[in-house]
Amino acid sequence: MKASQLPIKNLMRRPGRTAAMILLSALLALSVFGGSVVVRSLQSGLNSLEARLGADIIVLPAEAESKVSFKNLLLQGTAGAYYMDASALDRVREVEGVEIAAPQTFLASLKADCCSIKVQVIGVDPESDYVVKPWIEQSYARELGDMDLVVGCLVTADVGEIMRVYDQRCHVVARLARTGTGLDTAVYCTMDTMKALLAAAEAKGVSHKITSDGRERISAIYVKVRDGYDVDAVNSKLNGHVRKATAVRTRSMITGVSDSLAGISRTIALLVGVVWVMALAILLVAFAMMIHERRREFAVLRLLGTSRRGLSRLILSETALCSLLGGLAGIAAAAAVVFPFTTLIESRLGLPYLTPHAGAVLALAAGTLAATLVIGALAGGWAAYRLSRTDPGTTLREGA
Amino acid sequence: MKEFSIPACVTLALALLIAVGSQTFLGPCVHDDGSFGACHWAGRMLMGVGALLAAQSLLALFARDHGRRAGLSLAMAPTALLGILTPGTIISLCGMATMRCRALMRPAMILLCVLALMAALTGWWIERRKAR
Repeated sequence: MKASQLPIKNLMRRPGRTAAMILLSALLALSVFGGSVVVRSLQSGLNSLEARLGADIIVLPAEAESKVSFKNLLLQGTAGAYYMDASALDRVREVEGVEIAAPQTFLASLKADCCSIKVQVIGVDPESDYVVKPWIEQSYARELGDMDLVVGCLVTADVGEIMRVYDQRCHVVARLARTGTGLDTAVYCTMDTMKALLAAAEAKGVSHKITSDGRERISAIYVKVRDGYDVDAVNSKLNGHVRKATAVRTRSMITGVSDSLAGISRTIALLVGVVWVMALAILLVAFAMMIHERRREFAVLRLLGTSRRGLSRLILSETALCSLLGGLAGIAAAAAVVFPFTTLIESRLGLPYLTPHAGAVLALAAGTLAATLVIGALAGGWAAYRLSRTDPGTTLREGA
Repeated sequence: MKEFSIPACVTLALALLIAVGSQTFLGPCVHDDGSFGACHWAGRMLMGVGALLAAQSLLALFARDHGRRAGLSLAMAPTALLGILTPGTIISLCGMATMRCRALMRPAMILLCVLALMAALTGWWIERRKAR
Protein backbone atom coordinates (compact mmCIF):
# COMPACT_ATOMS: atom_id res chain seq x y z
CA MET A 1 0.00 0.00 0.00
CA LYS A 2 1.31 3.45 -0.90
CA ALA A 3 1.62 6.06 1.87
CA SER A 4 -0.63 8.38 -0.14
CA GLN A 5 -3.48 5.88 0.15
CA LEU A 6 -3.24 5.74 3.95
CA PRO A 7 -5.57 8.72 4.71
CA ILE A 8 -8.31 7.28 2.48
CA LYS A 9 -7.94 3.81 3.99
CA ASN A 10 -8.04 5.30 7.51
CA LEU A 11 -11.24 7.20 6.71
CA MET A 12 -12.93 4.19 5.12
CA ARG A 13 -11.96 1.93 8.03
CA ARG A 14 -14.09 3.99 10.45
CA PRO A 15 -17.14 5.08 8.44
CA GLY A 16 -19.09 6.31 11.48
CA ARG A 17 -16.34 8.64 12.64
CA THR A 18 -15.70 9.83 9.09
CA ALA A 19 -19.41 10.51 8.54
CA ALA A 20 -19.55 12.56 11.76
CA MET A 21 -16.56 14.69 10.63
CA ILE A 22 -18.11 15.21 7.19
CA LEU A 23 -21.45 16.12 8.77
CA LEU A 24 -19.83 18.78 10.97
CA SER A 25 -18.04 20.33 8.00
CA ALA A 26 -21.29 20.17 5.99
CA LEU A 27 -23.13 22.03 8.76
CA LEU A 28 -20.48 24.74 8.66
CA ALA A 29 -20.66 25.09 4.88
CA LEU A 30 -24.46 24.99 4.84
CA SER A 31 -24.82 27.81 7.36
CA VAL A 32 -22.18 29.99 5.74
CA PHE A 33 -23.23 29.50 2.13
CA GLY A 34 -26.98 29.66 2.86
CA GLY A 35 -26.59 32.73 5.09
CA SER A 36 -24.30 34.50 2.61
CA VAL A 37 -26.64 33.89 -0.33
CA VAL A 38 -29.65 35.23 1.62
CA VAL A 39 -27.76 38.35 2.77
CA ARG A 40 -26.40 39.00 -0.73
CA SER A 41 -29.86 38.49 -2.23
CA LEU A 42 -31.33 41.06 0.16
CA GLN A 43 -28.60 43.54 -0.76
CA SER A 44 -29.14 42.88 -4.49
CA GLY A 45 -32.88 43.36 -3.96
CA LEU A 46 -32.37 46.74 -2.33
CA ASN A 47 -29.98 47.84 -5.10
CA SER A 48 -32.49 46.68 -7.70
CA LEU A 49 -35.27 48.57 -5.93
CA GLU A 50 -33.23 51.79 -5.92
CA ALA A 51 -32.30 51.32 -9.57
CA ARG A 52 -35.88 50.58 -10.61
CA LEU A 53 -37.47 53.39 -8.67
CA GLY A 54 -35.57 56.20 -10.33
CA ALA A 55 -37.85 58.93 -9.01
CA ASP A 56 -36.92 61.36 -6.24
CA ILE A 57 -40.49 62.00 -5.12
CA ILE A 58 -43.81 60.19 -5.54
CA VAL A 59 -47.02 62.19 -5.40
CA LEU A 60 -50.01 60.11 -4.32
CA PRO A 61 -53.65 60.88 -3.56
CA ALA A 62 -54.14 61.79 0.11
CA GLU A 63 -56.40 58.72 0.51
CA ALA A 64 -53.52 56.39 -0.52
CA GLU A 65 -51.82 56.76 2.84
CA SER A 66 -54.81 55.19 4.58
CA LYS A 67 -55.15 52.42 1.97
CA VAL A 68 -51.58 51.20 1.69
CA SER A 69 -48.38 51.73 3.63
CA PHE A 70 -45.67 53.47 1.65
CA LYS A 71 -43.29 50.57 2.29
CA ASN A 72 -45.83 48.18 0.75
CA LEU A 73 -46.21 50.57 -2.13
CA LEU A 74 -42.64 49.75 -3.05
CA LEU A 75 -42.48 46.13 -2.03
CA GLN A 76 -45.87 44.69 -2.84
CA GLY A 77 -46.51 46.05 -6.28
CA THR A 78 -48.53 49.15 -5.42
CA ALA A 79 -51.44 47.06 -4.18
CA GLY A 80 -54.71 48.94 -4.15
CA ALA A 81 -56.65 51.32 -6.29
CA TYR A 82 -56.68 55.03 -5.46
CA TYR A 83 -57.09 57.92 -7.80
CA MET A 84 -56.70 61.67 -8.06
CA ASP A 85 -57.67 64.16 -10.69
CA ALA A 86 -55.29 64.27 -13.66
CA SER A 87 -55.05 68.04 -13.22
CA ALA A 88 -52.68 67.27 -10.34
CA LEU A 89 -50.10 66.44 -13.00
CA ASP A 90 -50.20 70.01 -14.34
CA ARG A 91 -49.99 71.38 -10.79
CA VAL A 92 -46.90 69.23 -10.15
CA ARG A 93 -45.24 70.40 -13.37
CA GLU A 94 -45.79 74.04 -12.33
CA VAL A 95 -43.58 73.60 -9.26
CA GLU A 96 -40.08 75.00 -9.68
CA GLY A 97 -37.41 72.31 -9.58
CA VAL A 98 -39.53 69.55 -11.12
CA GLU A 99 -37.69 68.20 -14.15
CA ILE A 100 -39.95 65.30 -15.15
CA ALA A 101 -43.35 64.26 -13.82
CA ALA A 102 -44.62 60.90 -15.06
CA PRO A 103 -48.15 59.74 -14.20
CA GLN A 104 -49.20 56.15 -13.52
CA THR A 105 -52.65 54.65 -13.07
CA PHE A 106 -53.25 51.52 -11.01
CA LEU A 107 -55.99 48.95 -11.37
CA ALA A 108 -56.38 45.68 -9.52
CA SER A 109 -57.85 42.98 -11.75
CA LEU A 110 -60.47 40.54 -10.52
CA LYS A 111 -59.59 36.95 -9.79
CA ALA A 112 -61.77 35.02 -12.19
CA ASP A 113 -62.31 31.31 -12.51
CA CYS A 114 -59.94 28.37 -11.90
CA CYS A 115 -56.39 29.42 -12.71
CA SER A 116 -56.65 33.14 -13.34
CA ILE A 117 -54.98 35.48 -10.94
CA LYS A 118 -55.52 38.84 -9.35
CA VAL A 119 -52.85 41.14 -10.70
CA GLN A 120 -52.01 44.78 -10.31
CA VAL A 121 -52.27 46.54 -13.67
CA ILE A 122 -50.14 49.67 -14.02
CA GLY A 123 -50.80 52.11 -16.83
CA VAL A 124 -47.86 54.27 -17.88
CA ASP A 125 -47.68 57.29 -20.15
CA PRO A 126 -45.16 56.34 -22.89
CA GLU A 127 -44.33 60.00 -23.62
CA SER A 128 -43.30 61.10 -20.16
CA ASP A 129 -42.49 57.84 -18.39
CA TYR A 130 -38.91 57.41 -17.26
CA VAL A 131 -39.49 54.90 -14.45
CA VAL A 132 -40.87 51.76 -16.13
CA LYS A 133 -40.01 52.45 -19.79
CA PRO A 134 -36.22 51.85 -19.57
CA TRP A 135 -36.95 48.62 -17.76
CA ILE A 136 -39.51 47.55 -20.38
CA GLU A 137 -37.05 48.44 -23.16
CA GLN A 138 -34.64 45.81 -21.84
CA SER A 139 -37.20 43.15 -22.79
CA TYR A 140 -39.29 44.81 -25.51
CA ALA A 141 -37.74 47.30 -27.90
CA ARG A 142 -40.95 48.37 -29.69
CA GLU A 143 -43.68 50.77 -28.56
CA LEU A 144 -46.52 49.19 -26.59
CA GLY A 145 -49.70 49.03 -28.67
CA ASP A 146 -53.34 49.02 -27.68
CA MET A 147 -54.23 46.09 -25.41
CA ASP A 148 -50.57 45.05 -25.20
CA LEU A 149 -49.31 43.96 -21.79
CA VAL A 150 -45.82 43.55 -20.43
CA VAL A 151 -45.81 41.18 -17.45
CA GLY A 152 -43.57 41.04 -14.40
CA CYS A 153 -41.40 37.94 -14.16
CA LEU A 154 -43.52 36.32 -11.44
CA VAL A 155 -46.68 36.43 -13.56
CA THR A 156 -46.67 33.07 -15.31
CA ALA A 157 -48.16 34.16 -18.62
CA ASP A 158 -46.07 33.38 -21.69
CA VAL A 159 -45.21 35.90 -24.38
CA GLY A 160 -47.84 35.66 -27.13
CA GLU A 161 -50.49 34.43 -24.72
CA ILE A 162 -53.86 36.16 -24.33
CA MET A 163 -54.53 37.39 -20.82
CA ARG A 164 -58.08 38.37 -19.88
CA VAL A 165 -58.48 41.38 -17.62
CA TYR A 166 -62.11 42.32 -16.90
CA ASP A 167 -63.03 40.17 -19.94
CA GLN A 168 -60.78 42.26 -22.19
CA ARG A 169 -58.38 40.25 -24.33
CA CYS A 170 -54.86 41.58 -23.78
CA HIS A 171 -51.75 40.36 -25.60
CA VAL A 172 -48.71 39.54 -23.51
CA VAL A 173 -45.83 40.99 -25.57
CA ALA A 174 -42.91 40.73 -23.15
CA ARG A 175 -41.79 39.53 -19.75
CA LEU A 176 -39.66 41.83 -17.60
CA ALA A 177 -36.41 40.96 -15.86
CA ARG A 178 -36.67 40.09 -12.18
CA THR A 179 -36.32 42.95 -9.68
CA GLY A 180 -36.92 41.06 -6.44
CA THR A 181 -39.73 43.48 -5.49
CA GLY A 182 -43.50 43.60 -5.77
CA LEU A 183 -43.07 45.09 -9.23
CA ASP A 184 -42.47 41.51 -10.43
CA THR A 185 -46.10 40.60 -9.79
CA ALA A 186 -47.60 43.53 -11.75
CA VAL A 187 -48.47 43.93 -15.44
CA TYR A 188 -47.85 47.11 -17.42
CA CYS A 189 -49.75 48.78 -20.25
CA THR A 190 -50.23 52.16 -21.87
CA MET A 191 -52.69 54.74 -20.58
CA ASP A 192 -54.95 54.04 -23.58
CA THR A 193 -55.16 50.37 -22.66
CA MET A 194 -55.73 51.35 -19.05
CA LYS A 195 -58.59 53.59 -20.17
CA ALA A 196 -60.25 50.58 -21.87
CA LEU A 197 -59.66 48.37 -18.83
CA LEU A 198 -61.09 50.95 -16.45
CA ALA A 199 -64.17 51.24 -18.65
CA ALA A 200 -64.48 47.43 -18.71
CA ALA A 201 -64.18 47.34 -14.93
CA GLU A 202 -66.94 49.94 -14.59
CA ALA A 203 -69.09 47.95 -17.05
CA LYS A 204 -68.66 44.85 -14.86
CA GLY A 205 -69.89 46.84 -11.89
CA VAL A 206 -66.50 47.26 -10.24
CA SER A 207 -66.59 50.89 -9.23
CA HIS A 208 -63.34 52.72 -8.79
CA LYS A 209 -65.17 56.03 -8.26
CA ILE A 210 -63.79 57.40 -11.47
CA THR A 211 -65.23 58.76 -14.63
CA SER A 212 -65.43 56.59 -17.73
CA ASP A 213 -62.51 58.45 -19.26
CA GLY A 214 -59.40 56.86 -17.81
CA ARG A 215 -57.22 59.78 -18.81
CA GLU A 216 -58.90 62.01 -16.29
CA ARG A 217 -57.69 60.06 -13.27
CA ILE A 218 -54.26 58.98 -12.22
CA SER A 219 -52.90 57.09 -9.21
CA ALA A 220 -49.37 58.39 -8.77
CA ILE A 221 -46.94 60.91 -10.21
CA TYR A 222 -43.25 60.00 -10.25
CA VAL A 223 -41.20 63.19 -9.99
CA LYS A 224 -37.56 63.69 -10.93
CA VAL A 225 -36.03 66.80 -9.39
CA ARG A 226 -33.88 69.07 -11.55
CA ASP A 227 -30.14 69.05 -10.74
CA GLY A 228 -29.13 71.72 -8.26
CA TYR A 229 -32.50 71.79 -6.48
CA ASP A 230 -32.97 70.52 -2.96
CA VAL A 231 -35.28 67.47 -3.03
CA ASP A 232 -36.70 68.24 0.43
CA ALA A 233 -37.55 71.80 -0.62
CA VAL A 234 -39.27 70.60 -3.81
CA ASN A 235 -41.12 67.98 -1.75
CA SER A 236 -42.42 70.67 0.62
CA LYS A 237 -43.47 72.87 -2.30
CA LEU A 238 -45.36 69.95 -3.87
CA ASN A 239 -47.17 69.26 -0.61
CA GLY A 240 -48.24 72.89 -0.45
CA HIS A 241 -49.09 73.30 -4.14
CA VAL A 242 -51.00 70.12 -5.03
CA ARG A 243 -54.31 69.76 -3.24
CA LYS A 244 -55.64 66.42 -1.94
CA ALA A 245 -52.28 64.78 -2.61
CA THR A 246 -49.25 63.77 -0.58
CA ALA A 247 -45.69 64.04 -1.85
CA VAL A 248 -43.31 61.46 -0.39
CA ARG A 249 -39.54 61.28 -0.81
CA THR A 250 -38.57 57.87 -2.14
CA ARG A 251 -35.38 58.04 -0.09
CA SER A 252 -37.43 57.92 3.12
CA MET A 253 -39.29 54.84 1.81
CA ILE A 254 -36.05 53.09 0.90
CA THR A 255 -34.50 53.99 4.26
CA GLY A 256 -37.29 52.05 6.01
CA VAL A 257 -36.64 49.05 3.81
CA SER A 258 -32.90 49.43 4.26
CA ASP A 259 -33.28 49.46 8.07
CA SER A 260 -35.30 46.23 8.02
CA LEU A 261 -32.72 44.70 5.70
CA ALA A 262 -29.84 45.69 7.98
CA GLY A 263 -31.63 44.11 10.95
CA ILE A 264 -32.19 40.83 9.14
CA SER A 265 -28.62 40.80 7.77
CA ARG A 266 -27.26 41.32 11.30
CA THR A 267 -29.40 38.47 12.66
CA ILE A 268 -28.27 36.10 9.89
CA ALA A 269 -24.61 37.10 10.37
CA LEU A 270 -24.95 36.48 14.13
CA LEU A 271 -26.51 33.05 13.57
CA VAL A 272 -23.82 32.10 11.06
CA GLY A 273 -21.16 33.28 13.53
CA VAL A 274 -22.66 31.21 16.37
CA VAL A 275 -22.82 28.11 14.13
CA TRP A 276 -19.19 28.66 13.10
CA VAL A 277 -17.92 29.02 16.66
CA MET A 278 -19.89 25.95 17.78
CA ALA A 279 -18.75 23.89 14.79
CA LEU A 280 -15.12 24.95 15.28
CA ALA A 281 -15.28 24.02 18.98
CA ILE A 282 -16.91 20.66 18.17
CA LEU A 283 -14.35 19.97 15.43
CA LEU A 284 -11.46 20.76 17.77
CA VAL A 285 -12.88 18.45 20.47
CA ALA A 286 -13.67 15.75 17.90
CA PHE A 287 -10.14 15.84 16.47
CA ALA A 288 -8.60 15.85 19.95
CA MET A 289 -10.67 12.77 20.83
CA MET A 290 -9.78 11.10 17.53
CA ILE A 291 -6.07 11.71 18.08
CA HIS A 292 -6.32 10.46 21.66
CA GLU A 293 -8.12 7.31 20.50
CA ARG A 294 -5.52 6.67 17.77
CA ARG A 295 -2.38 7.70 19.69
CA ARG A 296 -0.99 4.12 19.78
CA GLU A 297 -1.54 3.80 16.03
CA PHE A 298 0.38 7.05 15.46
CA ALA A 299 3.10 5.98 17.91
CA VAL A 300 3.61 2.74 15.93
CA LEU A 301 3.83 4.75 12.71
CA ARG A 302 6.44 7.01 14.31
CA LEU A 303 8.49 4.01 15.51
CA LEU A 304 8.25 2.49 12.02
CA GLY A 305 10.03 5.54 10.68
CA THR A 306 7.32 8.04 9.82
CA SER A 307 8.61 11.54 10.48
CA ARG A 308 6.70 14.12 12.51
CA ARG A 309 6.12 16.02 9.27
CA GLY A 310 4.80 12.83 7.63
CA LEU A 311 2.43 12.22 10.53
CA SER A 312 1.17 15.82 10.40
CA ARG A 313 0.65 15.43 6.65
CA LEU A 314 -1.38 12.26 7.27
CA ILE A 315 -3.65 13.96 9.82
CA LEU A 316 -4.03 17.09 7.67
CA SER A 317 -4.86 14.96 4.62
CA GLU A 318 -7.62 13.20 6.54
CA THR A 319 -9.08 16.48 7.81
CA ALA A 320 -8.78 18.08 4.36
CA LEU A 321 -10.67 15.19 2.76
CA CYS A 322 -13.43 15.35 5.38
CA SER A 323 -13.66 19.13 5.04
CA LEU A 324 -13.76 18.97 1.24
CA LEU A 325 -16.53 16.36 1.15
CA GLY A 326 -18.45 18.08 3.94
CA GLY A 327 -18.03 21.48 2.31
CA LEU A 328 -19.33 20.26 -1.03
CA ALA A 329 -22.27 18.43 0.64
CA GLY A 330 -23.14 21.52 2.72
CA ILE A 331 -23.04 23.85 -0.28
CA ALA A 332 -25.21 21.44 -2.29
CA ALA A 333 -27.72 21.17 0.59
CA ALA A 334 -27.88 24.96 1.03
CA ALA A 335 -28.33 25.44 -2.73
CA ALA A 336 -31.16 22.87 -2.74
CA VAL A 337 -32.95 24.83 -0.01
CA VAL A 338 -32.22 28.46 -0.91
CA PHE A 339 -32.58 28.61 -4.72
CA PRO A 340 -35.84 26.68 -5.38
CA PHE A 341 -37.59 28.56 -2.55
CA THR A 342 -36.52 32.08 -3.59
CA THR A 343 -40.10 33.31 -4.07
CA LEU A 344 -41.19 31.87 -0.73
CA ILE A 345 -38.26 33.48 1.11
CA GLU A 346 -38.99 36.80 -0.60
CA SER A 347 -42.67 36.78 0.39
CA ARG A 348 -41.97 35.61 3.96
CA LEU A 349 -39.28 38.24 4.56
CA GLY A 350 -41.39 40.98 2.99
CA LEU A 351 -38.23 42.61 1.66
CA PRO A 352 -36.78 42.99 -1.83
CA TYR A 353 -34.92 39.78 -2.60
CA LEU A 354 -32.95 39.19 -5.78
CA THR A 355 -30.68 36.18 -6.17
CA PRO A 356 -27.18 37.28 -7.23
CA HIS A 357 -25.94 36.28 -10.68
CA ALA A 358 -24.23 32.91 -11.27
CA GLY A 359 -20.69 34.35 -11.04
CA ALA A 360 -21.35 35.83 -7.60
CA VAL A 361 -22.97 32.58 -6.40
CA LEU A 362 -19.96 30.56 -7.61
CA ALA A 363 -17.61 32.99 -5.85
CA LEU A 364 -19.61 32.59 -2.62
CA ALA A 365 -19.47 28.80 -2.99
CA ALA A 366 -15.69 28.89 -3.56
CA GLY A 367 -15.22 31.19 -0.55
CA THR A 368 -17.33 28.89 1.64
CA LEU A 369 -15.36 25.83 0.52
CA ALA A 370 -12.06 27.61 1.23
CA ALA A 371 -13.29 28.70 4.68
CA THR A 372 -14.42 25.14 5.51
CA LEU A 373 -11.02 23.79 4.44
CA VAL A 374 -9.23 26.40 6.58
CA ILE A 375 -11.33 25.52 9.65
CA GLY A 376 -10.66 21.81 9.07
CA ALA A 377 -6.94 22.48 8.63
CA LEU A 378 -6.87 24.57 11.83
CA ALA A 379 -8.51 21.80 13.84
CA GLY A 380 -6.32 19.10 12.26
CA GLY A 381 -3.17 21.23 12.60
CA TRP A 382 -3.80 21.81 16.28
CA ALA A 383 -4.31 18.07 16.82
CA ALA A 384 -1.12 17.28 14.86
CA TYR A 385 0.84 19.86 16.89
CA ARG A 386 -0.27 18.27 20.16
CA LEU A 387 0.62 14.81 18.86
CA SER A 388 4.11 15.92 17.79
CA ARG A 389 4.89 16.93 21.38
CA THR A 390 4.33 13.44 22.81
CA ASP A 391 7.00 10.75 22.81
CA PRO A 392 5.87 7.60 20.90
CA GLY A 393 7.86 5.27 23.17
CA THR A 394 6.15 6.63 26.29
CA THR A 395 2.74 6.30 24.61
CA LEU A 396 3.33 2.63 23.83
CA ARG A 397 4.78 1.90 27.30
CA GLU A 398 1.70 3.43 28.95
CA GLY A 399 -0.27 0.75 27.12
CA ALA A 400 -3.62 2.47 27.36
CA MET B 1 -31.97 -12.52 4.38
CA LYS B 2 -32.34 -10.09 7.26
CA GLU B 3 -30.16 -7.32 5.82
CA PHE B 4 -31.71 -3.90 6.14
CA SER B 5 -31.82 -1.72 3.03
CA ILE B 6 -31.02 1.85 4.06
CA PRO B 7 -31.91 3.39 0.63
CA ALA B 8 -35.34 1.68 0.79
CA CYS B 9 -35.89 3.15 4.28
CA VAL B 10 -34.91 6.60 3.00
CA THR B 11 -37.26 6.25 0.02
CA LEU B 12 -40.08 5.13 2.33
CA ALA B 13 -39.59 8.21 4.55
CA LEU B 14 -39.49 10.52 1.53
CA ALA B 15 -42.55 8.82 -0.02
CA LEU B 16 -44.56 9.32 3.17
CA LEU B 17 -43.45 12.96 3.26
CA ILE B 18 -44.60 13.40 -0.36
CA ALA B 19 -47.96 11.69 0.26
CA VAL B 20 -48.75 13.48 3.52
CA GLY B 21 -47.03 16.79 2.70
CA SER B 22 -48.85 17.23 -0.61
CA GLN B 23 -52.15 17.27 1.31
CA THR B 24 -51.04 19.24 4.37
CA PHE B 25 -48.11 21.55 5.09
CA LEU B 26 -46.67 21.38 1.56
CA GLY B 27 -50.03 21.29 -0.14
CA PRO B 28 -51.58 23.37 -2.95
CA CYS B 29 -53.30 26.77 -2.74
CA VAL B 30 -56.23 27.13 -0.39
CA HIS B 31 -58.82 29.67 -1.52
CA ASP B 32 -60.91 31.58 0.99
CA ASP B 33 -64.16 30.83 -0.85
CA GLY B 34 -63.54 27.06 -0.89
CA SER B 35 -62.90 26.91 -4.65
CA PHE B 36 -59.80 25.24 -6.03
CA GLY B 37 -57.72 25.36 -9.16
CA ALA B 38 -55.63 22.94 -11.18
CA CYS B 39 -52.99 22.86 -8.46
CA HIS B 40 -55.48 20.96 -6.28
CA TRP B 41 -55.35 18.05 -8.73
CA ALA B 42 -51.57 18.25 -8.88
CA GLY B 43 -51.62 17.81 -5.10
CA ARG B 44 -53.92 14.76 -5.42
CA MET B 45 -51.66 13.25 -8.07
CA LEU B 46 -48.61 13.79 -5.85
CA MET B 47 -50.39 12.02 -3.01
CA GLY B 48 -50.84 9.05 -5.37
CA VAL B 49 -47.20 9.18 -6.44
CA GLY B 50 -46.15 9.25 -2.77
CA ALA B 51 -48.39 6.29 -1.94
CA LEU B 52 -47.05 4.29 -4.89
CA LEU B 53 -43.45 5.06 -3.90
CA ALA B 54 -44.21 4.03 -0.31
CA ALA B 55 -45.67 0.71 -1.50
CA GLN B 56 -42.63 0.03 -3.70
CA SER B 57 -40.27 0.92 -0.83
CA LEU B 58 -42.10 -1.44 1.54
CA LEU B 59 -41.90 -4.25 -1.02
CA ALA B 60 -38.17 -3.57 -1.43
CA LEU B 61 -37.70 -3.57 2.34
CA PHE B 62 -39.34 -6.96 2.76
CA ALA B 63 -37.99 -8.58 -0.43
CA ARG B 64 -35.86 -11.64 0.35
CA ASP B 65 -33.22 -11.57 -2.36
CA HIS B 66 -30.98 -8.81 -3.67
CA GLY B 67 -32.06 -9.20 -7.29
CA ARG B 68 -35.69 -8.55 -6.42
CA ARG B 69 -34.69 -5.56 -4.29
CA ALA B 70 -32.63 -4.18 -7.16
CA GLY B 71 -35.61 -4.54 -9.52
CA LEU B 72 -37.98 -2.84 -7.11
CA SER B 73 -35.48 -0.01 -6.51
CA LEU B 74 -35.17 0.50 -10.26
CA ALA B 75 -38.98 0.58 -10.56
CA MET B 76 -39.07 3.45 -8.04
CA ALA B 77 -37.02 5.66 -10.38
CA PRO B 78 -39.80 6.31 -12.97
CA THR B 79 -42.30 6.82 -10.14
CA ALA B 80 -40.06 9.51 -8.64
CA LEU B 81 -39.60 10.99 -12.13
CA LEU B 82 -43.39 11.15 -12.47
CA GLY B 83 -43.47 13.07 -9.18
CA ILE B 84 -40.85 15.53 -10.48
CA LEU B 85 -42.87 16.19 -13.65
CA THR B 86 -46.32 16.37 -12.04
CA PRO B 87 -46.42 19.92 -10.59
CA GLY B 88 -46.24 22.43 -13.43
CA THR B 89 -45.38 20.08 -16.34
CA ILE B 90 -48.01 17.33 -16.38
CA ILE B 91 -50.59 19.28 -14.36
CA SER B 92 -50.56 23.07 -14.56
CA LEU B 93 -50.45 25.27 -11.49
CA CYS B 94 -51.79 28.73 -10.62
CA GLY B 95 -50.78 31.73 -12.67
CA MET B 96 -48.66 33.69 -10.18
CA ALA B 97 -45.25 32.55 -8.99
CA THR B 98 -45.97 33.95 -5.54
CA MET B 99 -48.90 31.59 -4.97
CA ARG B 100 -48.47 28.70 -2.55
CA CYS B 101 -48.55 25.96 -5.19
CA ARG B 102 -45.68 27.54 -7.12
CA ALA B 103 -43.70 29.05 -4.25
CA LEU B 104 -43.89 26.09 -1.85
CA MET B 105 -45.53 22.92 -3.18
CA ARG B 106 -43.70 22.69 -6.51
CA PRO B 107 -40.09 23.22 -5.29
CA ALA B 108 -40.66 21.10 -2.16
CA MET B 109 -42.17 18.20 -4.11
CA ILE B 110 -39.50 18.35 -6.82
CA LEU B 111 -36.79 18.37 -4.15
CA LEU B 112 -38.32 15.39 -2.32
CA CYS B 113 -38.81 13.46 -5.57
CA VAL B 114 -35.22 14.16 -6.69
CA LEU B 115 -33.98 12.86 -3.33
CA ALA B 116 -36.24 9.80 -3.71
CA LEU B 117 -34.86 9.25 -7.23
CA MET B 118 -31.28 9.43 -5.94
CA ALA B 119 -32.08 7.04 -3.07
CA ALA B 120 -33.80 4.62 -5.47
CA LEU B 121 -30.84 4.61 -7.89
CA THR B 122 -28.39 4.19 -5.00
CA GLY B 123 -30.47 1.26 -3.74
CA TRP B 124 -30.50 -0.29 -7.21
CA TRP B 125 -26.71 0.09 -7.51
CA ILE B 126 -26.02 -1.42 -4.07
CA GLU B 127 -28.45 -4.33 -4.45
CA ARG B 128 -27.27 -5.12 -7.98
CA ARG B 129 -23.68 -5.39 -6.74
CA LYS B 130 -24.79 -7.64 -3.89
CA ALA B 131 -26.85 -9.79 -6.27
CA ARG B 132 -23.72 -10.48 -8.34
